[in-house]
Amino acid sequence: MSTFSTPNQVIEQFAEQIKQANIDKQTIQITGNQSKVPLGIEDFNGLPVQELNISNYSGIIEYEPAELVVTVKAGTPLTELQAALAERNQMLAFEPPDYGNSTIGGTYAVGLTGPSKPFRGILRDFVLGTKLIDGQGRQLGFGGKMIKNVAGYDVSRMLVGSKGSMALITEMSLKVIPLAVEVTYCIEMPENEAILLMNKMAGTALPMTGGAYYQGRFYYRVAGEHPLQTNQVGVRECDNSVWVTLNPFRPELESGEKLWRVDVESTNPAIENTIAVGMGGTRRWVASPNKPNHPYVTLWQTRFAPRHNDTPCVQKIKLGLRDVFDPNHIFKQL
Amino acid sequence: MDVIQALKEAISAKNVLDSVESCRPYECDGLSAYREKPLAVALPDDVEQVKAVLRICKQYKVPVITRGSGTGLAGGTLPLKDGIVLGLSKLSDIIKIDPLQRIAVVQPGVRNISVSQAVEKYGLYYAPDPSSQIACSIGGNVAENSGGVHCLKYGLTVHNVLSIKVLDMDGEESVFDEKDDGIDLLALLNGSEGLLGVIVEIKLKLLPKPESAQLVMAAFHSVSDCADAVTSVLEQGIIPAGLEMMDKFSLMAAEEFAKVGYPTDAEALLLCEVDGSHAQVQTDAKRVADILTQKGAYKITVSQSEKERIALWQGRKNAFPAVGRFSPDYYCMDGTIPRNKLAFVLEEIDRMSGIYGLKVANVFHAGDGNLHPLILYDANKPGELELTEKFGTEILNLCVDVGGTITGEHGVGVEKLNSMCHQYNTPELEIFHGIKAVFDKTGLLNPGKAVPTLHRCAEVGQMHVHNNQLPHPHLERF
Repeated sequence: MSTFSTPNQVIEQFAEQIKQANIDKQTIQITGNQSKVPLGIEDFNGLPVQELNISNYSGIIEYEPAELVVTVKAGTPLTELQAALAERNQMLAFEPPDYGNSTIGGTYAVGLTGPSKPFRGILRDFVLGTKLIDGQGRQLGFGGKMIKNVAGYDVSRMLVGSKGSMALITEMSLKVIPLAVEVTYCIEMPENEAILLMNKMAGTALPMTGGAYYQGRFYYRVAGEHPLQTNQVGVRECDNSVWVTLNPFRPELESGEKLWRVDVESTNPAIENTIAVGMGGTRRWVASPNKPNHPYVTLWQTRFAPRHNDTPCVQKIKLGLRDVFDPNHIFKQL
Repeated sequence: MDVIQALKEAISAKNVLDSVESCRPYECDGLSAYREKPLAVALPDDVEQVKAVLRICKQYKVPVITRGSGTGLAGGTLPLKDGIVLGLSKLSDIIKIDPLQRIAVVQPGVRNISVSQAVEKYGLYYAPDPSSQIACSIGGNVAENSGGVHCLKYGLTVHNVLSIKVLDMDGEESVFDEKDDGIDLLALLNGSEGLLGVIVEIKLKLLPKPESAQLVMAAFHSVSDCADAVTSVLEQGIIPAGLEMMDKFSLMAAEEFAKVGYPTDAEALLLCEVDGSHAQVQTDAKRVADILTQKGAYKITVSQSEKERIALWQGRKNAFPAVGRFSPDYYCMDGTIPRNKLAFVLEEIDRMSGIYGLKVANVFHAGDGNLHPLILYDANKPGELELTEKFGTEILNLCVDVGGTITGEHGVGVEKLNSMCHQYNTPELEIFHGIKAVFDKTGLLNPGKAVPTLHRCAEVGQMHVHNNQLPHPHLERF
């Protein structure tokens, strides 16, 4: 959909820079506020990269609370977006982690979701449409502002997690939800018991929006009206701050230790050296010198270093899709 | 040896249909106005046989149209004369249910409703519930990214699928999982209408059944009041499990058919269901009733029992067949619009209805903006189907022009190819074709569906003023 918004001078400049890079054979690294990835000096071939910074393309384009949709420029800081939503008693359901002035564009690029993941869904679930500039400098639009839309391939959801390697996302429309009134409860217990319990509880009608295990305690969060919890042995109400501690999770590590993000099935038994369990059991944070032996592990020191666990088939697809969006490989691979 | 012989040898003759009679049930899907006899229908017993079919079709350069239960409404599984229909209905095993993890792993031929039935004993269910859920298959649901009446709160298929196993034309397997790093190929495959791969296994998310549900029915004297009321409910922070609106024609037809006590003097009827914990449902139902009253509802009924709730839904659930009784044929549209454009769009449809001389009944998933106008026509009257399709295309163009989309949940198939030209421009369509070519270099997977060729769009554009109905829409045009 090309009628997403009116032509904009900043967008035209971005497109121009990308077109010029095609002529100059120049690699571009897209940056926001660099809260997650610093600007690299060189690309893989040792050539200098040129920065394309989206942080000056910021602000809410359209927000209609009754439509449950907000359309926002990619450089908008999360705090600004969240404040605007909160003013109308709404929120981002995926509770993105803020690494310090993080932008919505950078959050989309990395595809980061907070503690409510198994309960409300992941970031891409809430993406309804995007406007983007591809590797040839063409301004394109996919999806729209509709909650239901199955016209054409779902490019706007597919590009979540593309880390600026395929296209410059300039605008996006996101589904929002009513601001949740939430209470957190906690109870002391061993990790394996907590994992079992959080799975059991998630299968009941209790309106859970968070389940975690941290420093010997099982924490769970409940939204809206629900049965009394503190009449159960050991359960007490605690404040909601644990979800901020875990999102983003930035623990102090012993020397020689590395932080590993391990994504597993929610019922996976406790993993050695785990320092926190989040997202209803599906996320494990492991502190150890060595990589845990699981299929979905990410070294989290650079917060999202690339993983290379794709099968050859999937690798080929990803390389092929990169050529579709960026045939001259202008955008830096991360 | 020809392709049919090769298939019979590979997956046994009993699994390959090629006579006119045996192929007849596969000539069309839910969009029965379009029919074609395929070269043959292959009905493999297992995944290994699916792989064999794909390899043979690749070798003989024969198109493959993958099909589930054939309930699709957009002609997405319309056969090609020189193509094979790959029917996956025999792959109907529920491979695994893990109630603790709240997942089910199923084969593509498993029917939607049977997942919920199989996990009911654990207090769980599979949320997406397209109206064809007693027949439609999970594989088809993923291919179409199917919706249902509960999408606003519980999402579409894409929100409820955790992982899929997909075959390419070489029979090679790939797994796309929610946990994958990088771009979201799982999301891309949802709604790809059989053009990117053959889905042979799906891991579904299961949800706990809500403790309780209550339905609020509200009658309005005007459509715009009703639309405004919907806006107010959502603005005040309530996300109903279902939010359905019917215009006068639909509600009258539904009442005559189901006799559930709908107020026939209303211009618009709203059904608003809230679910959740007992306490929350009581609070929300009262709040909804208050808001709707404030917004001009002149009659409110709140279901007082499960029996009453189900009874009140019966009218809405039977709205299509009820309307169908007034006409030999009806054509169901699937546009989606911003809610605040509803009153305008309905007025426009009404105006066009007068011009075309075709009656329209409107049912509306008001929660997510998905409009299903039913155009009544008689296929036996020469030219009336063509006229109906022209009217339908105009409605879809209107949906796009007010900021909506041509299809909310039915898919493009062959039906809405021309409307795709209205929604997307050339470079965007080029990206779509590029994506297709990455997954399917042979171009043999469901060719000609979902994404129009650029030539076709050029031609539709030229013909737009005179007559945008093409006689053979699945053919490429140069």
